[in-house]
Amino acid sequence: MSDRVLGILVLLLALGYGWLANRLEVGFFSDPVGPKPFPYLIAACTVLAALWLIARPDPNPQWPPRAFGPAFALVLGSLVAYAYLVVPLGFILTTTLEMTLLSLLFGARWWQGLGGALAFSLGVYLLFTYGLSVPLPAGKLLGLA
Amino acid sequence: MDIVHALTNGFGVALQPINLLLVFLGCLVGTLIGVLPGIGPISGVALLVPLTFALKLPPESAIILLAGIYYGAMYGGSTTSILLNIPGETSSVVTTLDGNQMAKQGRAGPALAVAAWGSFIAGTLSVVGLMLLGPLLAKWAIRFGPAEYFALMIFGFSTLSALAGKNMAKALISTLLGLMLATVGQDPQSGISRYTFGLLQLEDGIDFLVVAIGLFAVSEVLVLLEEKTPNAVRTRVGRIYLSLKEFVFSLSSILRGSVLGFLIGVLPGAGASIASFVSYTLEKQLHGARGSFGQGDIRGVAAPESANNAAAGGAMIPLLTLGLPGSGTTAIMLGALVSLGVTPGPQMFQQHPAVVWGLIASMYVGNAMLLMLNLPLVGLFVRLLSVPRWFLLPSVLAVSFIGVYAVNNNPFDLLLMTIFGLMGYLMRKFDFPLAPVLLGLVLGYLMEINLRRAMAISNGDVSFLFSSPIAIGLWLLAGLSLLAPAILSRFVKREALGDDEI
Repeated sequence: MSDRVLGILVLLLALGYGWLANRLEVGFFSDPVGPKPFPYLIAACTVLAALWLIARPDPNPQWPPRAFGPAFALVLGSLVAYAYLVVPLGFILTTTLEMTLLSLLFGARWWQGLGGALAFSLGVYLLFTYGLSVPLPAGKLLGLA
Repeated sequence: MDIVHALTNGFGVALQPINLLLVFLGCLVGTLIGVLPGIGPISGVALLVPLTFALKLPPESAIILLAGIYYGAMYGGSTTSILLNIPGETSSVVTTLDGNQMAKQGRAGPALAVAAWGSFIAGTLSVVGLMLLGPLLAKWAIRFGPAEYFALMIFGFSTLSALAGKNMAKALISTLLGLMLATVGQDPQSGISRYTFGLLQLEDGIDFLVVAIGLFAVSEVLVLLEEKTPNAVRTRVGRIYLSLKEFVFSLSSILRGSVLGFLIGVLPGAGASIASFVSYTLEKQLHGARGSFGQGDIRGVAAPESANNAAAGGAMIPLLTLGLPGSGTTAIMLGALVSLGVTPGPQMFQQHPAVVWGLIASMYVGNAMLLMLNLPLVGLFVRLLSVPRWFLLPSVLAVSFIGVYAVNNNPFDLLLMTIFGLMGYLMRKFDFPLAPVLLGLVLGYLMEINLRRAMAISNGDVSFLFSSPIAIGLWLLAGLSLLAPAILSRFVKREALGDDEI
């Protein structure tokens, strides 16, 4: 059943993708094919594959228990927050926080998680910025740079 | 004569101190990735590519390192299959059947040793195959025009969709999603932006590393988050030896596994997992009642472990000669080489001999190195399994952040990575294979450009795509490949095969 719902979503994605290709405005200086037909081809094949999936769905997948939902949402939210915070707060602080959170979710005690996260973040920061000259954001709070 | 000369030059490249060090590093990291369940070769290679860019390695050194991880992982995968009944990689799932039985009977030593020797022999034979067949295929493919290339891509994608997952419709959707991602960004021929939704960060397209790390590494961590498995495992390994009698007994299985694995590895979409399953089944059918398969037959370890290593060597052939990777890992290698200014394809053997022959020579060195590394150090590698998951998996994520950030120094890519991580998680749940997304993304541009070139030549006449014997042959092969699952299901139960994440 859930495969059928998914198939309908893929179908809508394919139609939306094709519709966006249709709206492209092509100038005069293009090759004979232009930028539209290849997306049309992909959209058409996707429509067929989606219909195939709707016609012959697999059994429903195994979902984790509902109690797992908040933890999952927390991890996704923290990953989004990481993307926004890594430059202002710096690599070491944000990575330590992110790793600590995950360690706790993987069953560590808080002092184990915090210690491991801090040691690892600090270690790779020094290794990458000084050893391998890969610049990582230093941040404005911990002005290590 | 030509080959001897080229190979000598190749060894000149491979034996430079920096490249020797990189072969060693690649093999070591590969073995670790193979031993640790949860990190596959695709994530491993994807996480190390930014490092090769940062170190400004020349292309030959970069590919030597990445290939070392790829075949190194095949060696490591067997260790935990045998000792703990936990396959390190999907390509070693079948090894658990007889390998773990042997360990339970106190014969872990011979099982590990035959896996190492089988891998060494198969790995070396597959490099010989690569060395002999590669230049021939390249010479043949050099006549390919845009129409032939387009047909070749269709062939590649159809075999991939037929073999990569359990459900062909889902594998096809995965491939098409990858192709959709490939069209994001500025169209190189007309200069208009497609599917950027006004975001400047998408003008240059979506980087394959961001997709690879999100889809494989991040989603793996998300999946493991809900699994409550024991935190750390400890085990002891005895002395690792193989008697001459056992070696002679399993030699024919090793050789059969090598040939079969190599041939399967060359096919796009059919990677090391299928190779190991098919070769195990073949041995079982050959020896039938006379063997003790499932109860600790040494040939049941020798054959699949040889086959998965040979498949890794075979997979380099379409990558190097046609520029058509057949698996997720080789797709990342293609992306890395292109970023370094080397486009794999028929011309590569002439234009970049140092890269091709340096890689081939390094694979001889690497296989010997892995044998020496593995036999005495297995105990040490196994001890790595006692690193707690609460440290290991967050560390994988931290390295993912670095890898993704280093691509463009832009935190926007971290957001994309999260989106692809969620997408990978859902795709794993719904049993969609992930590797085709990566292949579609890496090859989509070439596919479109060849279609447009072909149409420019023929002035829009579609029949041009079917105008040469080679092109017609490839279209026919593409059609035939759709029957492959039916043939394969005679050998392997489709459900037994996991997602081929090699």
